[in-house]
Amino acid sequence: MLHLMLTVALIFFTLTIGIGLFRIIRGPSTPDRVVALDMIGVNLLSAIATVSVLFTTQVFLEAILILGLLAFISTIALSKFIDRGVIVEYKRDR
Amino acid sequence: MIVEYIAATLILIGSIIGFISAIGILKFPDVYTRAHAATKSSTLAVLLTLSGAFIYFWLTEGYFSVRLILGIVFIFITAPVAGHLIIRAAYRSGVPLDQSTVEDELAEVFTHDEALRNKEED
Amino acid sequence: MPAQFLVNIFIAFLWVLLMDEDRFYFSTFVVGYSIGILIVFLMHRFFGQRFYLRRFVATVKLIIVFISELFQSSYFVLKYILRPGYDMKPGIFKYETILEGEWEVSALALLLTLTPGSVVMEVTPEGNTFYIHAMDLVASKQNLIISLGKFEKAIMGVTR
Repeated sequence: MLHLMLTVALIFFTLTIGIGLFRIIRGPSTPDRVVALDMIGVNLLSAIATVSVLFTTQVFLEAILILGLLAFISTIALSKFIDRGVIVEYKRDR
Repeated sequence: MIVEYIAATLILIGSIIGFISAIGILKFPDVYTRAHAATKSSTLAVLLTLSGAFIYFWLTEGYFSVRLILGIVFIFITAPVAGHLIIRAAYRSGVPLDQSTVEDELAEVFTHDEALRNKEED
Repeated sequence: MPAQFLVNIFIAFLWVLLMDEDRFYFSTFVVGYSIGILIVFLMHRFFGQRFYLRRFVATVKLIIVFISELFQSSYFVLKYILRPGYDMKPGIFKYETILEGEWEVSALALLLTLTPGSVVMEVTPEGNTFYIHAMDLVASKQNLIISLGKFEKAIMGVTR
């Protein structure tokens, strides 16, 4: 019963990542794709946590922190690029 | 034994909420409403799942995992900030609003901002 | 305010040293800390500011407000997604706030993003006007303005 519940949860996470992939391919503008990428990263975190509960091991928990950090930083870098055209600006007269 | 079922229920509820928010990304017609769905309910889904995993490891194995608490706090603080930034970038780069929009008070102020920015870059 | 906290810690350590036990027991530290709270409360007028535990209690209340708003906003968004058909009217509106300074405005912007149905879009360079994009403007504008008043009061309880 426990195994069944966790497997169903994992199937739901996989379907969510698939829908995000569809939105990345289809989205008519770039911010659409960035939003879908953020959602894929966040659901990948949950899928890793579920897999580590299924195998009852703790070795995967560092990957959760690193993936969360990477997803956040890449979303910010992409937003700044869409907004300004450069990521790190050169301030001339501050 | 009952603790394992509580943790598994939390993970299952988290996954269902994440799936419904993915349907929301498919259904909404506009970038701004899609970002609403993706940042708010996805954050709650991930928080519930990580809390379920944390409860499982704490009460079954006796392993108090600080990394999961760090992950929970980090996602709680940073996911709304990411949503705000992407909506602001989308508006400034000119993605059109949907036709069912009622009012737009930012449009008259925005041209002034853009002129200021173009003048600053020269 | 940090001075009150440091004096409290100092009194707690003094109590542990005065008890003269063979190891550092944490329960003795906690007893010393509570005696320190009593002493600082009786003398807090000499420090010139409010008693620092009030600020701590206000911070805890603010965190509880954050978490409850997160749950409510997810429920709101899910209810809209599961409704068949599409009849929402999104819109952008303006809101002037009375907070000032970086911390308060950032805390209010974060809290607004977690509120049901609204995302902060722009902040003016002066720092006291928000432009908010709401998912359903007609149904939730009044609720938003009422909740914004409550949030401002909660945030001002922490920093002032």
